[in-house]
This record gives sequence, C-alpha cells and structure tokens, in this order.
Amino acid sequence: MVQNIKYYPDASININAGPVRSFKESYTDMLTDIIDTMKAHNLEALSAIQIGYAYQLMVIKEENIYHAYANPRIITQTNPFDSTEESIYFKNHPITVKRYKTLSIIYDDPHGEMKHKTIDNKQEAATFQRKLDYLFNTTLLDRLNPNQKEQAIQALAGKGIMPDTTEDYCPPVSKKEYFVSVTDKLLFFMLVSLFLPLFGISKETLESWYLYDKFAFPISLLLMVGFFFYAQYEAKQYKQCTSCQIGNNIGVIVKRVAIATALAISSYFILG
Amino acid sequence: MARLIVMGGGVSGHTAATFAKKWLGNEHEVVVVTPNSQWNWIPSNIWVGVGQMNKEDVVFPLAPVYEKAGIDYRQAKAISIHPYGNKQSDKEYITIEYTGQGKEGQTEELTYDYLINATGPKLNFDATPGLGDGKGQMGSNTVSVCTADHAVHANLELQQIFEKAKKGERQKILVGTGHGMCTCQGAAFEYIFNIEHEAKKAGVRDMLDIKWISNESFLGDFGMGGLHMKVGGYVVSSKLFAESLFSERDVPWLIGAHVSKVEKGKAHYELLDGTTGVEEFDFAMLIPPFAGVGFKAYDKEGEDMTDVIFAPNGFMKVDAKYDAGAYENWKASDWPRTYQNPTFKNMFACGIAFAPPHLISKPASSVNGTPINPTPPRTGMPSGIIGKAVAHSVCDMIKNGAENAHLHEASMAEMGAACVASAGKGLTTGTAAAMTVYPVVPDFEKYPGTGRDTDYTFGEIGLAGHWIKHILHHLFIYKAKLKPGWTLIPE
Repeated sequence: MVQNIKYYPDASININAGPVRSFKESYTDMLTDIIDTMKAHNLEALSAIQIGYAYQLMVIKEENIYHAYANPRIITQTNPFDSTEESIYFKNHPITVKRYKTLSIIYDDPHGEMKHKTIDNKQEAATFQRKLDYLFNTTLLDRLNPNQKEQAIQALAGKGIMPDTTEDYCPPVSKKEYFVSVTDKLLFFMLVSLFLPLFGISKETLESWYLYDKFAFPISLLLMVGFFFYAQYEAKQYKQCTSCQIGNNIGVIVKRVAIATALAISSYFILG
Repeated sequence: MARLIVMGGGVSGHTAATFAKKWLGNEHEVVVVTPNSQWNWIPSNIWVGVGQMNKEDVVFPLAPVYEKAGIDYRQAKAISIHPYGNKQSDKEYITIEYTGQGKEGQTEELTYDYLINATGPKLNFDATPGLGDGKGQMGSNTVSVCTADHAVHANLELQQIFEKAKKGERQKILVGTGHGMCTCQGAAFEYIFNIEHEAKKAGVRDMLDIKWISNESFLGDFGMGGLHMKVGGYVVSSKLFAESLFSERDVPWLIGAHVSKVEKGKAHYELLDGTTGVEEFDFAMLIPPFAGVGFKAYDKEGEDMTDVIFAPNGFMKVDAKYDAGAYENWKASDWPRTYQNPTFKNMFACGIAFAPPHLISKPASSVNGTPINPTPPRTGMPSGIIGKAVAHSVCDMIKNGAENAHLHEASMAEMGAACVASAGKGLTTGTAAAMTVYPVVPDFEKYPGTGRDTDYTFGEIGLAGHWIKHILHHLFIYKAKLKPGWTLIPE
C-alpha cells in the first residue's frame, strides 16, 4: 500500500531505526509498502523511516529491480568525493555533501541471510549512503558543517511542507516571547546592580542604579501581566499549541515575578 | 547465625557485601573472598593510562574498609563450589586459595549458607593468539587499561611513544577491541581520545598515526546498538557523532573487525565483509574478550557438575531464559530478574559474573562465519544495581526464611544506565560524551523499532561531561570507602 512520505521539516524522521529482526509477514508488508510508495512517486530509492517505519530497511531500484537491504552496514569506504544530491525529503532541493565512491557493505537479504557486496560507482554509492543515513537519523543537512547547514536551511525556507500557522498550529516563534525577553533583560541588570557596591562606585551612580531598580521592578510585573493576557489571546488562535497551555504560561510568570521580587528586596537593602 | 560468602570485591561484589552487612548487622556473617587487596574505580583507569592520574588515585586498600564494616575479608581466589558438601558433610562449601594476608598459596574450605558470585570476568587475553601470554595473562605485544596495574604499564609505554615522536620518529597507535566478541568499546573509545588529547598537549600529535579498530558494525554502536545525541542544540545519531569526532581528529577507523592474531607490531584482522588484513603499530591498546573465571563445581561424590551451575562461557546460570533461540525470538523478558541460580536457590550471581541469555546487539558473523559482534555490557551502573538487589534478596531470605522471602528484581531490560566518555581530564577545556540508555536491554515489544525509550536514550557532548566524570570518580570512591552517608549515594 502506498504510504505518506515524510517531507522536510517533519522531525519524526529523526529517530534511530531499529534492526529488522524477523523476515516474516510484517517484513513483507513493510517491504511491499516501500516498493508501492516508490512506484507511486517514481523514486529510485527509499528508506523505511521515510514512510514512518522505524526499521533498518531500505530499497534501491537497480536495473528496474527493487533490491531490499535490511540492517545494512558500510564496513569500509574509500575514494571520497563531493556529491550533489537531491532527496524527496527535501523536495529535491540539491545539497552537496562528502561521500565515498567505493564501499564494502553487508546487509540481510529478504530471507534474513547476510550478504556482502562491493559498490564502486559514485551514484550508486551516494544513494546507498544517503538512504543509510536516514536509518541512523541523519539527513543531508546533518552532513553539513554549521555554516553550510545554516545556508541550506535558509535556501529551504518556504520549500518544505510547513504547518499552516494562520489557523490550527502555533507558530514556531511566538510574539509573547518578546514580553519574556524584555523582562529577562530588565532582571539581569537588576541583578548586576546588586554587585556594584563591591567595586567602589560613587554614591550618585549607585543612587541612579537604585532608581533603575525601582522602575524595573514594576515594569517587569506589568510585562508579566501583559504576557499573561497576550498568551491567552494567542492560545485562542490555535487548536494545537503545547507552548500555549496555561500551565506553561503561569510557570513563566511565577518564576519571573519571584525573581523580580527577590531582586527588588535585595536592592532595597543593598542599594536603598 | 547465617553465613553469606561474596566471591569478588569489585563494583558488584563490594556493593552486595557492604549492603548485606549493613542490613544483616552482627547477627549474621558476611565473608568477602577476592584475590585483590585493593578496590579499583575502573572508569578512571583511562586517566591512569595517559598519565593524568596515579594508581593511588583510583585504588584503595580493602582490608581497613572491611574491618570497619565488620566483614570477614579473605584475600584469596575461589577455586571450586561444592553445593552438596562432601562425603563427610552435607554442608555446602567453597574452596579458596589465598593470594595475600601472609597465607599465599594456602587453601581452605569455607562453608556457606548463601553464596553470591560477583567475581567479574576473566580477561581472556588468550582468546586471541598473541594478545595473551599463553598463561592467561596479558602478553607483551599490546597494553590494556582493564586494571590499574595494566593502566600504569600502558602509560609507561605511551610515554615512550611520545618521547620517540618528540625525537621525530613517526609512531603508529592502534586502539580498540582485541577480539570479535569483545564488550567495553566505550572504554577503548575513551582511551583513544584521551591519547589524542594528550598527544596534542605534548605537541606530538602530528607525529602520530592513531587508528581505531572495533568489532562494532557501525561507529557509535558502543555495544548498545547506538543512540541519538544532543550536540550544540542539534540532535544527531551516535553514528554521525562518532564519525564526525573521528574525522575531525584525523583518526581513521576499522569496524566490524575481529582481531585474529597479534604479533609484535602487527595485528591481523578479519572484517565482517570477509576481507582480512594486517595493521601495523608501535603501541596498541586492545581490550580482551571476557569469560567466566573458570570455577569448577563438584557434587558430593566429587564428580564434576560445573555445567549444572555454569554456562559454557564460564558465567553462572541464573533465572534467565537460555533457550530463546533465534534472534527474532529474543525478548526483554529473557533477561534475568532476581539473578538466583535455578538449581541452587541459595546461590546468586551479579555483575559480569551472571550468564546473559543472549547478545544485546544483533548477532553477526563475517561471510567466512566468524562471529563478530559486541557482547552484552554488564559493567558499571547495572553491576552496582544488581549487586544491591541480590544483597537485598539474600538478606530477606536470611531474615524471613528462604520460602517466605521476597526476591528483589533488577532486570537489565527495565533498568537504565549512564556512562561518560571523556576526551581529556581538564576542568576548563575538552569535551566528553555523557550518555544515558533506557532500558539497557532493548525491549522490542514495549518500544517497537529501536527497542528503547528515545526520551531517555540520548547523549550530550560538552565540557560538563568532564565535570560529571570527576564528580563520579570522587563520589564512588567515597561510597566504596563506606564514609558517612555512603548509602545515600545511588549506584
């Protein structure tokens, strides 16, 4: 049966697949689903995890034959080269990674018998390595260094299957976080002010900092009040939003109000 | 008064003996039989092996600790078990041969009411020709960090390599597993990166070719089938993490390897794909495979009945399912829960000494039929937990009677474990991998696919790992010395 393929940025692809332990009916069903999905999407290769099966199984189409590799491993790899690859997970967005041309591999065939094979072809080897990566929760992006990864993520922006943030799902970045961010900065400088007397700073400067603390404290409380109401408003916009749960919001507020109060009291006794 | 004999004074045996004595008090007798005069915090042997710690930092004498605890300490190795007694008496006993306390070479019979086998493994160097000396000890071709003395020797050899490198002589270092059926890949993994770290500090890294050889079928398996790790905010597989770590440090690797023979400066190997090769080295640390210590068991007539109590690999049979059959039939429930011997209910095994029902990793053989796969790790945290559970069971049996007692359970299929692999010892520089796995033995029924709870099976990379390793070092030595509050420190 044709199964749904996972597309970027679906994070459920990022789990280690377990070994194929049985080669009976459930294995055959899984294999059939992979091949059916490959045919439906005209794919040359597919890993089980790409359609949601967390097992170490991948299929590569070789000369019109669908070849199943269960529990595949690369034992040796030589002759590195830069490989520009596309994967259906990234909607065929090309990404260049380092691969090896010559591989000595082992795998279990559909009867559970361990087989050995040598691959000495750039395209075939790259496909094998890419599909194997998926079985070890590794995508093309993970093969890049941080700078390359950032560039690739920017290039992929808007090209993946993103949740519709206007209706059901909470956005990845919530505007209510601005309230928290400003509050945290105010509290940080309140904390800094408590240590200033240790450095022999003039009385006038200390008075200015105390004045800052006297304003920062109520502003922090007001920001938390604002946070609460905006978070409540935002929560009503989305059907699915774990970060919008009232328990989380109250936790954020209680933590900061407690810190602000402690800092204000300390400021009163140290600077006041 | 009942007498409990604990054979072995390592992590598991020491834990079992000390807790049993605490719970039993002076009404009953606890005897520890161990050939060693010192307790060794084995994880820190890695740092001894690169000269960052002295032997004295990782060991302490057992005698004063046991004297303080009221435990009868016999520095001796157990030789045989006689669970039916002998022709003169029905009382079960073991025979021991002293290795210290001024009685070296003397033998003695010790009767028991309860027996805990916590001997740990025999370091089976001779399983690989040339790795051992043919007499059961480490040979001269390679070094080891399995004991504190081995680690001291390893460091001396390593410093000579560094000296040669400083003089401009290019040196080859090989680190990993010395047989296709080894466990403890993590220790070798830690050692190779500590060597690499120290080589950089000594300014000789560019003169060293450092190579990894392991029986894992993929880098980052760690004998546990791999895990996912958090690195710099990203989640990556241990395979990718390990590959990156080795590549960044210019350490090439050989995996799926069974070291078949070692000669001076040469390691012969066979890979899972059936190919064979030879790796040359100037310095090699190859972990040996483990085996049971080789106890014999005799019946009342003096006839050998070792196979009743012990599995063919020398480890003690416990309440595990040993006839699970093919890999596809393996279940988490095959693993023992109480560690009680099925034939003799007053006999238990804990730590490495119990016979596992089967492997944890997927079994694999080379195309030539040579088995090459990691064997189940039973060291460290699981060892301590099992030792404590077994002590609890024995104490309940002594206090409440064997029939009424509740046997305490500590299945590795329901137990998590944590380990830290450092790449250096500094408090301000370097990185370490801190890993947790739950459960240790995959439960494919409860967690289809990976067999593990992915929320609790992960690793993190960072300097904090070094701090954790330092904390664990001091904490566990403090605990083992039975200093105030030792029972509050978890296993």
